[in-house]
Amino acid sequence: MTTLLDVSALVRRFGGITAVNKIDLAVTAGEFVSIIGPNGAGKTTLFNLISGLDRPDSGTVQFAGETVTGLAPDHIAARGLARTFQHGRVFANLTVRENVLIGAHTRQRAARWPALPIGAALEFVAALIRPTWMRDEQELLDQEVRDILGIFGDRLLPRIDDPAHSLSYANRRRVEIARALALKPKLLLLDEPTAGMNQTETAEMKALIGELKRRGQTILLIEHKLDLVMQLSDRVVVMDDGIKIAEGPPQVVRHDPAVIEAYLGHPTLGAAEKVVAAEAS
Amino acid sequence: MSSWFDYTINGLVVGNIYALLAVGLALIFGVSHLINFAQGSVYSVGAYVGLVCITYLNTPLPLTIAIVLASCGLLGILIERIGLRPLQGRTRIAPLLATIGISLVLDQIVQLVFSAQPRALPSQVPDWRFVIGGGSIGALDLLIAAIGLASAAVLFAFLRFTKLGWAVRATAQDREAAQQMGVDVDRVDSAVFAIASALGGLSGLLVGMYYNNISPAMSFQATLKGIVAQVIGGVGNVPGAIFGSLFLGLTESYGIALFGTSYRNLFAFVILILVLISWPNGLFGGRRSLPPEPLTGTFIAPSRPVLLPFWLVVALVATGLLLPVVVTSPYVIQTLSNAWLYGMLALSLTLVAGTAGQISLGHAALLAIGGYASALLALDLGLSVLVAIPLAGLITGLIGTLLVYPAFGLRGHYVAIATLGIGEIVSLVILNWESLTRGPIGITGIPPLAIGKHDFYSAPAVYWLTFAVLVGLALLQRRLLRSPLGRTLRAIRDDDVAARTYGINPNRYKGLAFAFSGFVAGVSGAITAHLYSYINFETFTSQISVLALTMAILGGLGNVFGAIAAAIALVGLPEIFRVASDYRMLIYGLALLLLIRFRPQGLFGTV
Amino acid sequence: MHSPTNTALPEPLLALDHIDTFYGAIQVHFDLSLEVGRGEIVCLLGGNASGKSTTMKIILGQVQPKGGTVTFAGEAITGLATPKIIRRGVGSVPEARRLFGAMTVRENLLMGAYLRSDRATVAEDLERTLDLFPRVKQRLDQRAGTLSGGEQQMVAMARALMGRPKLICMDEPTMGLSPLYVERVLELVRDINRAGTTIFMVEQNASLALQIAHRGYVLQTGRVVLTGSAQELLMDPGIRDAYLGGEQAA
Repeated sequence: MTTLLDVSALVRRFGGITAVNKIDLAVTAGEFVSIIGPNGAGKTTLFNLISGLDRPDSGTVQFAGETVTGLAPDHIAARGLARTFQHGRVFANLTVRENVLIGAHTRQRAARWPALPIGAALEFVAALIRPTWMRDEQELLDQEVRDILGIFGDRLLPRIDDPAHSLSYANRRRVEIARALALKPKLLLLDEPTAGMNQTETAEMKALIGELKRRGQTILLIEHKLDLVMQLSDRVVVMDDGIKIAEGPPQVVRHDPAVIEAYLGHPTLGAAEKVVAAEAS
Repeated sequence: MSSWFDYTINGLVVGNIYALLAVGLALIFGVSHLINFAQGSVYSVGAYVGLVCITYLNTPLPLTIAIVLASCGLLGILIERIGLRPLQGRTRIAPLLATIGISLVLDQIVQLVFSAQPRALPSQVPDWRFVIGGGSIGALDLLIAAIGLASAAVLFAFLRFTKLGWAVRATAQDREAAQQMGVDVDRVDSAVFAIASALGGLSGLLVGMYYNNISPAMSFQATLKGIVAQVIGGVGNVPGAIFGSLFLGLTESYGIALFGTSYRNLFAFVILILVLISWPNGLFGGRRSLPPEPLTGTFIAPSRPVLLPFWLVVALVATGLLLPVVVTSPYVIQTLSNAWLYGMLALSLTLVAGTAGQISLGHAALLAIGGYASALLALDLGLSVLVAIPLAGLITGLIGTLLVYPAFGLRGHYVAIATLGIGEIVSLVILNWESLTRGPIGITGIPPLAIGKHDFYSAPAVYWLTFAVLVGLALLQRRLLRSPLGRTLRAIRDDDVAARTYGINPNRYKGLAFAFSGFVAGVSGAITAHLYSYINFETFTSQISVLALTMAILGGLGNVFGAIAAAIALVGLPEIFRVASDYRMLIYGLALLLLIRFRPQGLFGTV
Repeated sequence: MHSPTNTALPEPLLALDHIDTFYGAIQVHFDLSLEVGRGEIVCLLGGNASGKSTTMKIILGQVQPKGGTVTFAGEAITGLATPKIIRRGVGSVPEARRLFGAMTVRENLLMGAYLRSDRATVAEDLERTLDLFPRVKQRLDQRAGTLSGGEQQMVAMARALMGRPKLICMDEPTMGLSPLYVERVLELVRDINRAGTTIFMVEQNASLALQIAHRGYVLQTGRVVLTGSAQELLMDPGIRDAYLGGEQAA
């Protein structure tokens, strides 16, 4: 198996706080890895560092065999990395179809022309002339968008031409995932895909992510709903205060005292032991 | 030739005057995160209140100062209460646009009451000067310095020793936490606007006495200088604003000494752009701070655009074409031609501000570049007008993009400030580059519009030409919006962080938007130049930039049809109904304010 | 000692009744009810995104519930602006401290007494409060932003005390602190309470918070799933599920 993502000794400080502290993380192609940890543990900062939205103070990120540390996010995306955002960031005034098409941006021929003034100018001219190949390409992408939206049953397809701001919160989260899939990512980063969803919606999202896993999609997931994490993950990484405090198969991590401590508090007064004892009984 | 000593004194005096403006801007930004474009208007109100006091009421100086402080303070409270507080919780660009609207309204009221003519503001300070070394200091210099120092001291004492002052500082640092201590932040907002406006008005009074001359036009430059001083010192930083003001005053004064008066403002704006790009947190601020909190959503109010059926578009175009046949009044036809030219400007701005989300406040500069380029191509290179106009459009697109390119990294308010500064730089370069632009004299004898040997003198001919160009450009822009490229531009506008994460390089597409926008505005400016046969550096004023923005907002940001409709509404209708030009800017200002308050998505909705 | 299990006192100091809260389309609270009696330490426990912090914002008037009422000292305070609620005797120790970083520690403490006009007694209170926080006393003229996280937490607590509140709301007072400070902070909470101030505390650090609290509520996705005395909660296996998302509690 090839290592798709290799993060080593990554550090990011904000003022006096070290949000990400010497994190090592590797993801193999086809693997499903989850990152859990309390609020403020540095999980989203880690995602920002991997996807290029933020630059690390030290450490490296390797993706698909290349060092991508410090590259701009659009370059990293073009190499096959897609992510969703914790609070859902859809393009509010674009329709569902257009939102998903943006996901396919880097796969459009004209958009790949080198960013020199010439490439950009040609892209502009092509947009005005709209040659046959461009129309064919757009038609193909359009079909692809329908296929992707089909994964969500009839949640999104009937609303394909509605602007994203008119969608329910859960539907906006789905659009985000659809947009990420349109990039045909080698690695998919999901940041709390079920945040703010009710139980039915969460169950549906769990089934969907499970389906993506079955299709062989490599996924790195941040999630608070631990039953989802425990059922789907091949491996779980636990972060607290910017540090990786545990890593391993779900069932092992679940019973790791350090993890219980991170979630329930420091066992100074022996409380966590009591809880563990209570659970065992 | 004055001595360096004199230039230093002059620089410090002017710096003091800027400081009174900039400190207010910094206080307001600190508490409300708002750049107050109405600050210069309050300053000019202060000058005119002083005029009334001195020439009509014959008040002694201390009383004059007290009246100016009180009336401008009250004005500040009204601005905050009526214009800005209703916009709380709205998109962050809304209050900024509102202050522009307020500024238009105030300036125009001043102009209606006191006329646009400059007035002499007699100084109430004895005229003596005493000589030191190679230069001299006058009583007024000392007074201004004293008032500057006293204001700084009073402000310091207020912030440091009074309860309300503490509340101001606490609110500036953490609005929510201040509320949790029991601070009534609405009252803090009022207080800050009162203080800022009182100081701004005082600044106006002093500058009037210093130059012995005031006019309504002084407002805009004052706002700009205050903003420049603030940006230098770090936006929202009160001591920084004082430092920035003195720095700016001295730089300008020494600049005048070295290069002459017409370079004065050029220095200010070049410094503005340099600081914005290199030290966005000001010369005092840190370089790398926390990355900005992801802004979900945009400054654009979500809406559904009004879709026009195809037959209606055809009918409207046909009506437009046939109008000169039916309407015989050359006046109406000329007015509409003018509206079509403004329509092109509105198209141009609605593309960058609406579709790509980059609020530009310097769009008139593109008209100027287009106009000068076409005029010079025709006159100096002898190109035919038919060739010169599109070529001027291309040149404008290129130059416009290159000028804004360094500012592509900026976001939100900073884009507006940077484009404003760049617009001013363009008109100052036109003024000073005499070998190319004929300097202050302007260009005369520009050849008229012509195709081959047929000159376009008749009103209907000009009408058809401008209408045809407008429709052509509008169709082109619509085609662009419906292409994958249009989608990409709108994605950048809606959420540039998400757009980058999906592989979009924002600079590439902002560049394309500015290039096309520059082409459209350049063509409009070029046609205007040939139509007027004479242009100078003041033909395309910054008021036109604000008007263009009002059009783009009125029509619905990004909305092609809306932009044209707004041009007819704002340029055509007032002209046809012969609204006096003094009232016209007032209408624009009120229109902008009402739109932002009640229909931020414009008449036809955001595309 | 207080009688932690006696919840049927005639009039609680603070009561939330049937609160429903929405952020846009997301429902944060589902029919949330809880009470804090005079003299109690009550802690609200729960995992991430359980609606704990929003509960605090509801009490302080920074978020308005869609349904339900908040009663403080016998009067409805639902819909009041934050400063008005503070004026009635509520003090706040916000999440992540939220000190005024560019102001000195002394100024921060005096901001806590912003609504009081009795200068002399404020000065006395400052002295008395500082006796409670000797570390803060040493840093009085330092800018608050330069203090360590633990010191900042002390200042935030002292600042809340300066308003002489009947009730102090504390949002995650131990978040991001070193273990040493965690214990110190919780001891101080207990001291403040013993001196007569009622405490309502949101905490993630359940095992420690329950050591000093009288009672607790456990929140999971906006619903109270468990309530009881601190001792009962400490022994309840359900609390672990509320945090770690176990199957039974779902």
